[in-house]
Amino acid sequence: MKAMTHKRTIGLLWLLLVALTLGGAFLGETAAPGLAVTVIVSLTMAFKGRMVIDHFMELKTANRTIRSLMRAYFYVVPLVTVLVYLFGDRLARLTTL
Amino acid sequence: MVKSYVEYTFKNSLPPNATVLLAAPTLPIQAEGGIPGNKGIWAGILSEMTEFALLFGVYFIARAHFPQAFKEGPLRLSLFAGTFNTVLMISGSYFVANAVLAIRQNRPRASVRWLILVLIAACGYLLTKYFEFRWNVGQGITGKTGIFFTVYYYLTFTHMVHVLWGIMGLLWVIARTRMGAYTPAEHEGMEAFASYWHATDLIWLVIFPLLYLLR
Repeated sequence: MKAMTHKRTIGLLWLLLVALTLGGAFLGETAAPGLAVTVIVSLTMAFKGRMVIDHFMELKTANRTIRSLMRAYFYVVPLVTVLVYLFGDRLARLTTL
Repeated sequence: MVKSYVEYTFKNSLPPNATVLLAAPTLPIQAEGGIPGNKGIWAGILSEMTEFALLFGVYFIARAHFPQAFKEGPLRLSLFAGTFNTVLMISGSYFVANAVLAIRQNRPRASVRWLILVLIAACGYLLTKYFEFRWNVGQGITGKTGIFFTVYYYLTFTHMVHVLWGIMGLLWVIARTRMGAYTPAEHEGMEAFASYWHATDLIWLVIFPLLYLLR
């Protein structure tokens, strides 16, 4: 019974992730670039990553160190994406030789 | 509040040995605190994630220095190819998760069928990449077209190499499953491959928005 539940969870997630991908493509094609789009795209990236890590990889119940490292990746990269949009000029100055 | 009341009532209405019965493992999912696959594959996966973290670092620094190139670049790429490959990567991940579930339920034939779907998704990804790169050349886009495209080729080629490693592992796992090497109790090799494939999917889930969506 619970096996079916997990199977159902990943089935629904698959559909959701595909829908989010198509929605993201539509947004990328139609919306004018800006902070709002950057935040939405970054949040979607974070959410999709977290779902794959927790449910497809089954790390939600697995080894804590691996789970934390993988989850952290999908906090850091989306956050940096927004920060670079906001403070790109500062990063450019910091990384100019 | 309601949930805790229900839990309290439920627990207090159970016989004394009920805790043991409830704790019995009935789930064919990862054991609490366990490592999916084995430690070796996770050393590989974390190396892969670190390698791409460095490449994403290069992307962010390049983007900060050349904002205009990164605003215009995605418009010249095929959004259709990027989106289609994302759907294929996500689907491959879903298929391999089902292959693992099937072997845990002692259904090796079903497991092989799911793995073949992974192979189809992986080959679809490679075919799309081939047409996308050909289309790019037709549009006059090469690695030397500009900084955005240098980063684009670097990231997507490196990812494609990881997909190729994955396909080799996948063929091995399909052969082993067909030979009956995996059982519900012992299928570490298949779990290790599944974890690697999910990691390759995860990397694409970063590449897709960075290169195709954000402007």
